[in-house]
Amino acid sequence: MTADPGGASDTQAGARSRGWGRWFGRPGRSLTRRLIWLASIWIVLALLATGWTLTSQYEESSLRRLGAVLSDTIDEVVLATNTVPDGSLTVAEIRDHETLRPLSGKYWAVAVPTADGRLRIVVRSPSLAGEDLVIPRELPDRLRAARGETISYNAWGPLQKRLRVAASMKQLPGRTEPVVFMAGLDRSTVDADTQQFATFTWAALLILGLGLVVAVLLQVQIGLRPLYSLRNEIADVRKGRSARIARSYPLEIQPLAEQVNRLLDHNQETVERQRTHVGNLAHALKTPLSVMLAEADVQQGPLPDIVRKQTAIMQAQVDHHLRRARAAARAQMLGERTPIAEVVDELAVMLERVFESRGVEIDWRAPDDLAFRGERQDLQEILGNLMENACKWAKRRVRVSAGATGLGQMIVVVEDDGPGLPEAQREAALQRGMRMDETTPGSGLGLSIVVELIRAYGGRITLGDSEMGGLKAMLELPAAEA
Amino acid sequence: MRVLLVEDDVDLSRQLRTALSDAGYAVDHAADGEEAHFLGDTEPYDVIVLDLGLPKIDGVSVLERWRREGRTTPVLILTARGAWSDKVSGFDAGADDYLTKPFHTEELLARLRALLRRSAGIASATLTCGGLRLDPRAARASVNGEPLRLTSLEYRLLHYLMMHQGRVISRTELVEHLYDQDFDRDSNTIEVFVGRLRKKIGAERIETVRGLGYRLTPLAGESEAA
Repeated sequence: MTADPGGASDTQAGARSRGWGRWFGRPGRSLTRRLIWLASIWIVLALLATGWTLTSQYEESSLRRLGAVLSDTIDEVVLATNTVPDGSLTVAEIRDHETLRPLSGKYWAVAVPTADGRLRIVVRSPSLAGEDLVIPRELPDRLRAARGETISYNAWGPLQKRLRVAASMKQLPGRTEPVVFMAGLDRSTVDADTQQFATFTWAALLILGLGLVVAVLLQVQIGLRPLYSLRNEIADVRKGRSARIARSYPLEIQPLAEQVNRLLDHNQETVERQRTHVGNLAHALKTPLSVMLAEADVQQGPLPDIVRKQTAIMQAQVDHHLRRARAAARAQMLGERTPIAEVVDELAVMLERVFESRGVEIDWRAPDDLAFRGERQDLQEILGNLMENACKWAKRRVRVSAGATGLGQMIVVVEDDGPGLPEAQREAALQRGMRMDETTPGSGLGLSIVVELIRAYGGRITLGDSEMGGLKAMLELPAAEA
Repeated sequence: MRVLLVEDDVDLSRQLRTALSDAGYAVDHAADGEEAHFLGDTEPYDVIVLDLGLPKIDGVSVLERWRREGRTTPVLILTARGAWSDKVSGFDAGADDYLTKPFHTEELLARLRALLRRSAGIASATLTCGGLRLDPRAARASVNGEPLRLTSLEYRLLHYLMMHQGRVISRTELVEHLYDQDFDRDSNTIEVFVGRLRKKIGAERIETVRGLGYRLTPLAGESEAA
């Protein structure tokens, strides 16, 4: 484990996803964003369809009303039309003022087919003031196809106003040729109405859409809250603030929470089992080593010397590899927190007793709420070795002080008033597996285990001079958040 | 001097028996926890060498039983695992010293001599205050029969308070009596130590007299003779 790269990227991600980006950023890997995007797209599409339907329906019904007026006009004109025996048409006066006043916006005309298949206007309303109603090229064919039904179309009329025009082809008594009756009405009022209706509709739909999106945001936020809470709990476990997932969750994610707990248990079990194996192996090897050593101790000559030396090397090797295995198994542990004051206190009491004949005193200071983010056994191992060393070399006094540095770290200093260690030897003392005295088992500094454990936790150790006169070991270790 | 050697490995126990006899001890040997417990419970040994990994009953449990039954014989534990958690639990169970295997026989003999020196002359002018009991010669204290695990500063503080129990003692007085000349004499640290001591002996036993200092008193209902 390195110095918590996970925590760092967490905060970055936190900063990135603050504000709107949290909801509307790229949806790729966020459930929140995915839900919000899907709902938003759906809302927009539904509202667009609604708006389009409403406005087109409104326009259609306006045009239908317009169409009714136009067919009334056509009917009036048809009734007022007479066929003169010479074949021409006359239209009696129609008492609709709108059709009399020039350029009033309401027009009618009567047309007859010409030889080339087009239509020619023969009579027109006074309101047209001599102009023609526009006749599209395809109108005659459409009229024939409609078989007497009225056809409507849009066209430009006098004064460049848009007109709604209705046309109907009738067969008049006494004429073989059909006659086309046309009526036109200025549609600008209708257009303005439609425009206004559309404006109101779209504005209302926009407000509705925004309201729905806000509702979706709230819903997603509330709906996903258990997930956020689970995420926070897992972060707590990782940071050593708690050991397990404790809260209960909705049906859908409760199994996930339970699975996480099971995984934590399994992790714990595996580590325990590994430790037991390692301990058993140590036990199995060390007793025979003791036997060999004891045997060599009571005999003289070259053989016992070799046995003593080789036993020491074997022990160093066994220690080294067992500790490596242990350290590797431990660094994976999650959710552990060990109050440092407790560990220092029990070690101090024990070591003062062991070194009672030399009168060594251990003065320790550590805040009650300071906790190591890791296993108790590991902290015991680290501090036990360092404090034992300090006691061994101290004249009278050993001092242990611990404090938080913030940033999830703490500093522990172990120092003594002994002779200290020359600078040249400090580096060697920290080398992996090195012992200050290669031939005497148990009498080395025992720092290899300390160094390896500290490394496994992503911490650091430095040796220096203590103001008390002896060696000062300064540790940086991960602290559990309070 | 009688020593009980508790070790299940045949070769190692043979070697240690020889070494101990050569050094002038009368040696009894037990090869499992049950036998060890029985011998330790019935014979008056001066010191016990106890291996922690034993058949039948493990070493820590044997030690716990002895201590529960009031056996105060000094015990040196032998541990093969060498883990500090084992040593700490051994001490919690009542051990006096430890040795990690493999070890030199000389080292073991030296540790035994030191243990015997330490335990010599325990015949006490003990101080009591309610359920608190302090034996200045052995430098041990207990509360209601349970041994207290005190660091030497905490022990000195308790000793001073017990010698002057019932009287209000100022912080300055405590600082003067607890620390050497060259110690950082910060009277605030007294509060820290009083706090720790309270945790171990029970908070109500040390009374804070505002502006004046501290006073050690027996708990209500505890008689002086307890």
